[in-house]
Amino acid sequence: MWNDLTGLIYSAYEQFSYLPLFIEIALAFIIIAILATIIAYSVILYKRWKGYVEDKRMAFISPKIEEMITEQVLINENLEKVPVEEIEFDPAALNDKIYKKAWVRQVMIDILIQYRKNFRGEVGELLRKLYLDMNLSKDSFDKMKSVRWDKKIKAVVELTQMDIQISDVTILPLTNSTNPSLRAAARNAYIQLSKNEPFKFFDIATEPILPWDQLELFKIITTTKEIAIPNFSRWVSYSTNKSVVSFCLKLIAHYDQQTAVPAVMELLNNKDHYFRADAINCLGKLSAEVAEDRMVRIYNTQPLNCQIEILKAIGRIASGKQLEFLKQEFLYSPNFDIRMNSARSIITHNTAASRAIVEELIETTHDENRLIISHCQNPLIKY
Amino acid sequence: MPAILIIEDDDIMLKAIRNILTKDGYTVITAKDGKEAFEKMDNSEYDIVLTDLMMPYANGLEVVSRLRSDSTRRHVGIIVVSSVGNEETITEAFRLGADDYLKKPIMAGELLIRIRKLLANRTNNAKLVTKKK
Repeated sequence: MWNDLTGLIYSAYEQFSYLPLFIEIALAFIIIAILATIIAYSVILYKRWKGYVEDKRMAFISPKIEEMITEQVLINENLEKVPVEEIEFDPAALNDKIYKKAWVRQVMIDILIQYRKNFRGEVGELLRKLYLDMNLSKDSFDKMKSVRWDKKIKAVVELTQMDIQISDVTILPLTNSTNPSLRAAARNAYIQLSKNEPFKFFDIATEPILPWDQLELFKIITTTKEIAIPNFSRWVSYSTNKSVVSFCLKLIAHYDQQTAVPAVMELLNNKDHYFRADAINCLGKLSAEVAEDRMVRIYNTQPLNCQIEILKAIGRIASGKQLEFLKQEFLYSPNFDIRMNSARSIITHNTAASRAIVEELIETTHDENRLIISHCQNPLIKY
Repeated sequence: MPAILIIEDDDIMLKAIRNILTKDGYTVITAKDGKEAFEKMDNSEYDIVLTDLMMPYANGLEVVSRLRSDSTRRHVGIIVVSSVGNEETITEAFRLGADDYLKKPIMAGELLIRIRKLLANRTNNAKLVTKKK
């Protein structure tokens, strides 16, 4: 039988070379297509089987773990009677054989994290104690040593959620990893876990903080309690990482760090116009009146994005000294954006003088400008 | 024992609150979304409703609004438990008639105290109404 089959394949192979070329190509395509289909179906079947097994495992273990957490933590008799660090768990429940298996321990960590997201106070602390007493932190630290970046991220997230300190030697290099996802996770963790110097990684950052990561970091910085907020002008003056400086400018504006104004004004000399635009935006948000004259002085030498930021900044500072400048820009600039921002800044002043200018402009200017003014006067359109 | 309806789409949170309240002696009924909650509210009487805000079918604000607009269930105490922390949503929940608002992550002890206080206030109010009559 085997000999017949090999003989058949051999004869088919011999005949193949005598076939016309287009038949040979068609046959090759058919064979490749059949093989690709078989491989694709095998992969799909394997993944479905794997998912089915995982679902079955979860259905078996999740209720068991949730029951254990409920008994040991949620309805623990000693809660609110004994300090959390003195509460002892039932050793029989913790030392169950099933909790020795790696996959069960991973499910346990995932469920504990879910509970920690929902509970703080004594229950939250007791969940953390359970994580430590079951030595699950060791599993997370072992994952940190993995060469796979996704495992490292998982470990960093687990340790952060459980509020476990990670040494600087371990986490600081990760904050500058070439992998953007790992870098972002490590930076987020560092800010949340480092109580004394949460922004130390800015000093060593050579990789950029991407715009999306800036949003995430900003959310963490502004919502984490008891975080030590430094004077961000330090990095504005000395950092060579452009994204760090840009991010610090946003933080300076958010925390209204008036002492940073001189350092930010230094950036007005920077060659990079994106940097200058960020600095002007920051000065406007700080209402730095001291910078107003200088911004008007450099206005004509700036590219459009910086000019628009200057107009916005003057509107935010609203000292009233530059109303004439804004009026001239509104009347004589050929650029629509410049006219729009000039009008907005005049209206934002909201003083008797600015209102008089607006009235005068409505009476004297042409239709398009009148339309711009009426658009800018709409309070529902955010500036 | 006072009856409490918990409306929460997160399975873990739902079970956790149910266990805490059951341990404290309350009769607890659960619903996983607004639609299920409306059905359960039609079938039984509750002293307190604990509701999440972001849920499928009907959100927590709709639950609060429906309870307060129904004259037979207007007396039910409502506590909103949600991770939504913006001022507008919290104000809206109170404006619609919520009695209390707890932001996740919650403290179990705080939840129990607030429930007890709300129940005590409701009892006192009921007594006052009876006296006036």
